[in-house]
Amino acid sequence: MTGPGPDFAFLDVATLLESSRPRGRWSGMRLLIAGCAAALLLSWFLLGQTPGTQQLFSVSLSVLLGVFVAGWALNGFLAVREARAQQRQLQIIEELIQLRRWPQAAFSVQAFLSRPARSPATRAQAMLFLAMVLARYHRFDDSVAVHEHILEEVLLDDEAVHSVQVGRAMALLRAENLLDADRAIADLRRQARAAGGIGESPGLALVEIYRDVKTGHPAEAIQMFQSRLAVMRRDLGHRLADAWALAARAYDMLGQSPQAEQAYRNATLLLPLVELRRRYPEIAPLADRLAPAAAPAEVA
Amino acid sequence: MISVDGVIARFRRDLALAALLRAALMVGAAVCLLGGPMLGLSGDGLVPLILIGAVWIVLSYRSMVGARLASDSPSLIAAGNFEQAEKQIDSVLRSFSLFRTAKLLGLHHLALLRHAQRRWRESALLCQALLGQRGIADLSRSTLLLMADSTLRLGDLRGTLWALDALYRQRLGLAEALALQLLQLDYGSRIGAWEQMLSCVGVKVQLSELMPSINAARSQAFLALAAYKAGRMELARWLRRRVELLADAPEIAADRPILAEMLAQAW
Repeated sequence: MTGPGPDFAFLDVATLLESSRPRGRWSGMRLLIAGCAAALLLSWFLLGQTPGTQQLFSVSLSVLLGVFVAGWALNGFLAVREARAQQRQLQIIEELIQLRRWPQAAFSVQAFLSRPARSPATRAQAMLFLAMVLARYHRFDDSVAVHEHILEEVLLDDEAVHSVQVGRAMALLRAENLLDADRAIADLRRQARAAGGIGESPGLALVEIYRDVKTGHPAEAIQMFQSRLAVMRRDLGHRLADAWALAARAYDMLGQSPQAEQAYRNATLLLPLVELRRRYPEIAPLADRLAPAAAPAEVA
Repeated sequence: MISVDGVIARFRRDLALAALLRAALMVGAAVCLLGGPMLGLSGDGLVPLILIGAVWIVLSYRSMVGARLASDSPSLIAAGNFEQAEKQIDSVLRSFSLFRTAKLLGLHHLALLRHAQRRWRESALLCQALLGQRGIADLSRSTLLLMADSTLRLGDLRGTLWALDALYRQRLGLAEALALQLLQLDYGSRIGAWEQMLSCVGVKVQLSELMPSINAARSQAFLALAAYKAGRMELARWLRRRVELLADAPEIAADRPILAEMLAQAW
């Protein structure tokens, strides 16, 4: 198998955002209509004007109509097949991300966005996956750019906008852009107050805890963790480990060792330490002092 | 409320009628095209051909509208808006459709609705009717998962085994594989197949980590139970500690008395 050439730009954001735009093109249906009209004119010109060939003209008209109907059906079939294929590709990328198979996910998302998407919705979905992959490769500025592009250009419902904004805030924090991150979180809070329901968002709670740990406000981080634990427990699945890990760091910063130990054990019980450290480098100092939860040999 | 037996009979009748009409329109079009001038049809067959084309287009459009209407139902069901979903599904199943897609989707969504309403027998019957149709490749996996769960809740373990067996022979997506694992563990706990439940336990634990909170907790609770029954106490305790972090016992054990019993014990 040959690898990419020397000019190959891995996940070049500007290029991918441009190449994936859905484009108006000469669809098969338009070509079919033009072809039928041309054939109709030609047969009328050649056959329709002479009395002896009028019956032949009628037959060719029937055949043309048949071709048109069959072409119309074929065009619809091909369009549906292409839409399904793109949907399937997106599903595969999502599965690769869930399974943390990052190199395969990166190449698949690059391949998907390298050609025009069929619809703005599929493109938005693929861009969201691109933002996740970029964050995994610690390209946080690029990840922020992709999130911002989605928010500017794609029409999304409130829930989707909220999750993109949470993703952007998290990427800003990881990019050490604390001022913009704080502004983004304040905006999310304001929207949450206005909307009511989103105030319960576990994603926003996680971002806020992370911001407080990062900016040296452990007491606020613990308060947020305790008040939002039930919501995060309900919705985050095993990502609840993220919240426990950040809480452990916050307890540690306050010198509350027993609580820090317990929170650290809970975090490492739910997710491997190596994954948690990759996500939050801030918990690295804990690794030297605290013992992670030991997994049995069957699952280690 | 839509009667399940009535809807299944009407579904079969409508599919047969639509197939007959499709065949009649196609034969009519072929006759107009090939034999119009010879049979002396009006306009050498062009006029009837145009009429047939118009009928086909109108009916196709109606079918497309039906399919689009059917696609809204799952979000209504997920939001708990059962009454609205029922109305929408009813209108899809009552309207005529030239193609099978809208009817198949309508029946599948009715099975989904009955499952969400915890009417397991009706859901299982609808799944059975759907699985009796040929060419439902895209729907068959989700229908089999629905059927396995409904029969399991009914205590019809033979029906569950049939559905699980059919699922093993299919290529599944990740979400489907996760749903299958949970069903498989639930089934295993009912027949006491503790050692089989623990085969490839590492992979099962990893898959559980990808599930939403309550399913992740339930899946690992079944594994903890199997480990406990098999005397692998270190594994059982580790799994149980994870379960307790993810969800509360009453929520995990809802409809699963065997889990309630395990979570009530101290070990």
